[in-house]
Amino acid sequence: MNARSILTAAFGAALCTIAAAQDVLAVKAGKILTVSGPTIENGVVLMHNGRITKVAKAADVEIPWDAKVVDASDKTVMPTWVLAHTQGGIRGANENLQNVPYVSIADAVDPAATWFEDCLRNGVGTVHAIPGNQTLLGGSGMILRPYGRTVEDMAVVTSSGVKLSLQAQGGGRLQQIRRLRKAIEDVQEYLADFDRRKKAFEEEKKAGAIPADKEWTEEHDRLKKPVIDLLAKKTRGWLYVPGAAEVDEALRLSQQFDLVMVFGPGIHKAIPEIAKLKAAVVIDDALEFYETDDETQQERKICPAKQLADAGVPFALSLATNGPGAYPWWQMATCVRNGIDRRAAIEALTLVPARILGIEKDFGSLTEGKLGNLQILTGDPLAATTWVDSVILEGQVVYERSKDPRLQYLFSKEPAKAAAPATPGEGK
Amino acid sequence: MNVQLTRVATLLALAVGAATATAQDKITALRGARILPGGAPAIDNGVLLIAQGRIQAVGGASTPIPEGTVVIDVTGKTITPGLIDANWRFGTGSLDRNEQGDEVTPHLRVLDTLDPADRQFERTRAAGVTTVHVMAGTQNVIGGLGAVLKTAGQDVDAMVLGSETSLRVTMGSEPSMGNRAIRGGSVESIYYRRPTTRMGVVWEVRKAFYDAKEAMNQTLNDPQQQDPGLQVLMRVLKKELAVVTTARSEQDIRTALRLAAEFGYTTVIDEAQEAHYVIDELAAAKVWVLVGAPSADRVTGGGGGDGAEPRFSTLTKLAAANVPFVITTGTNQAALDLVREAMFAVRNGIDPQLALDSITVRPAQLLGLGDRIGSLAAGKDADFVVWTADPFDPTAVAAQVWCNGLTVSESR
Repeated sequence: MNARSILTAAFGAALCTIAAAQDVLAVKAGKILTVSGPTIENGVVLMHNGRITKVAKAADVEIPWDAKVVDASDKTVMPTWVLAHTQGGIRGANENLQNVPYVSIADAVDPAATWFEDCLRNGVGTVHAIPGNQTLLGGSGMILRPYGRTVEDMAVVTSSGVKLSLQAQGGGRLQQIRRLRKAIEDVQEYLADFDRRKKAFEEEKKAGAIPADKEWTEEHDRLKKPVIDLLAKKTRGWLYVPGAAEVDEALRLSQQFDLVMVFGPGIHKAIPEIAKLKAAVVIDDALEFYETDDETQQERKICPAKQLADAGVPFALSLATNGPGAYPWWQMATCVRNGIDRRAAIEALTLVPARILGIEKDFGSLTEGKLGNLQILTGDPLAATTWVDSVILEGQVVYERSKDPRLQYLFSKEPAKAAAPATPGEGK
Repeated sequence: MNVQLTRVATLLALAVGAATATAQDKITALRGARILPGGAPAIDNGVLLIAQGRIQAVGGASTPIPEGTVVIDVTGKTITPGLIDANWRFGTGSLDRNEQGDEVTPHLRVLDTLDPADRQFERTRAAGVTTVHVMAGTQNVIGGLGAVLKTAGQDVDAMVLGSETSLRVTMGSEPSMGNRAIRGGSVESIYYRRPTTRMGVVWEVRKAFYDAKEAMNQTLNDPQQQDPGLQVLMRVLKKELAVVTTARSEQDIRTALRLAAEFGYTTVIDEAQEAHYVIDELAAAKVWVLVGAPSADRVTGGGGGDGAEPRFSTLTKLAAANVPFVITTGTNQAALDLVREAMFAVRNGIDPQLALDSITVRPAQLLGLGDRIGSLAAGKDADFVVWTADPFDPTAVAAQVWCNGLTVSESR
């Protein structure tokens, strides 16, 4: 069915890195937001072969003579953002067939998509691309860097787990739950049958009905392999839970599988249940919305993220595909505006998603030993006036605002005329 | 703007306030905030004195506070004038504002569709907007008469500042959308409507104004003079009423300017997403420009209506050419709160003071209400917002919204 997806799966889960263009890179920063540790004023980030070897005050760092130096002494340096769950840059994120755990997002990633370009423009350095929520068992995802000409170039982790969804697909909510249970039971039955046949083979061999030199050669059905791995907890499931009503089923499934919960917007009525998971979760990009009371018709603003924060549930933020929710700064500021701690907001796009993705050893903060993935900002990461000046991935400068043709086009760079007008003109 | 009408509205506003007159009668002082008065430099650690629904004084820390004043400490907060949305995105009731009976309905009044209990008012108030300009929908060529009203109140009559402030005309493909040229269908079908093209849209405008011109030359008792639609158009031709022309693309903006010049009426260009292509023409025509929802503009495409290509540089270019512009939420349903739209303008390079003026002083001036609203000065309506931080900080919230000297919305 899909030869390439099987090939990519064979790449294994080892971390694929890009060869660092510079052996030694030093970034002089006005301010370093390490995320994991304290903020460093007037510091230096030193990278050798794409890895961070030192993050400290400028006075405490000796920059090697052969280092390439990036001067950001009037800017803020921090780790690039990590997206825990996205369908950005994907062509056809939802296969029409519902039960397709054997497909891979690798075949749908469009390296030329402007979305990846936008990632760098917004300081996003790592994305987890996975099939969409309009599915039942929807295929495996991969962790990518938004930089490179081919999927292979972009790959950080080639197989990140399988997508499952409780989003009703043309039927009711219960039907979706039933279908998912059925699909899983089918594989369990297949496995039981497989084991039964294998056992019978061994017994017949022992009894001499089968020649002693004949071996059992049958392997697990490749189309069922991802779910078999899921059942054996060899691979992770990424379960989309559209709303509060599906949380109970999600809790049940989490007993059976190694699952990451990806929530839709309306989960505020199931916060205590979600807290029972005792795990970090991924939340929807719609961070605030209104709810009308059926009785009083009074409107209430809801921010599920704030309720999760209050319940002590760490969460990773998602970005919208358009509108202001596509900007990391807006998403984090929306959290803070709703009373969430600033630190938690920043971690929701750095450390928490890195932890959820199991890549916190290399990603999510500016820490010695981690990969040199950092962004240089013109100001505070939560301010509306801040722009991403440049992005460095694994010690390599991959984005510079001064060389961003699309941005220059939108700003129609021209010699500026006189200052802004003091009084509006005559019109009426 | 009908001056008499404004006075009547003011009296009504005061009458309605009677129930809570005690709160309004007291002199209240807000002390300690950074005051951005609108159209003037910021005052740190300022004092804002209000009574009887009006501002008594605005000044620095030394501003005298009379004895018996209720003093509210707002140290660390920022106060701006109540925001004014010159093209209010009205989420609900849009069906109510597009009359399907005809393409040219100049005499229909949007005021008659407004329900003060609509949640949209509550949300808008909570976002710091105290005055809105609501227009007829964009699905008719000439949609109807726009109204200006305060966002707080139970009775539209008491909220209204202008019941017939503007006449909306729409260019482009929107008024012809869904209309169908006859092709076998019945002539009686509701789909058999004109216009079906841009040419048709422009012709409907021309025809309407030709008729109005002709009617102006008729004697007073001629039946044509009595036509309510033509009467509105005649007011436009006499420059007693301004047109707001919704024109997104360059082509439509040029057409809008051409029509205004041809018939000699005053127009404001609304939703001018491609204004960046026609800066010189806009400056020469001395028109005001409304720009809706700058937040919707994306680096990688999108955000443009009717084939328009928005640019981040639109507002800076308008500013550089001294074209007066106002930021609105406009027709984009995905628009954010007005203050956030101005924040996106700041992100794209507009000076914060100018951005604030574009949602306070300037719309007040445009709507002919500069003497009452839009800035914080003695004698003006006590409409203001206490923000938890600088209003253009994306983490800021409107902690208190005051309208006519009363708190109409509060948050943490």
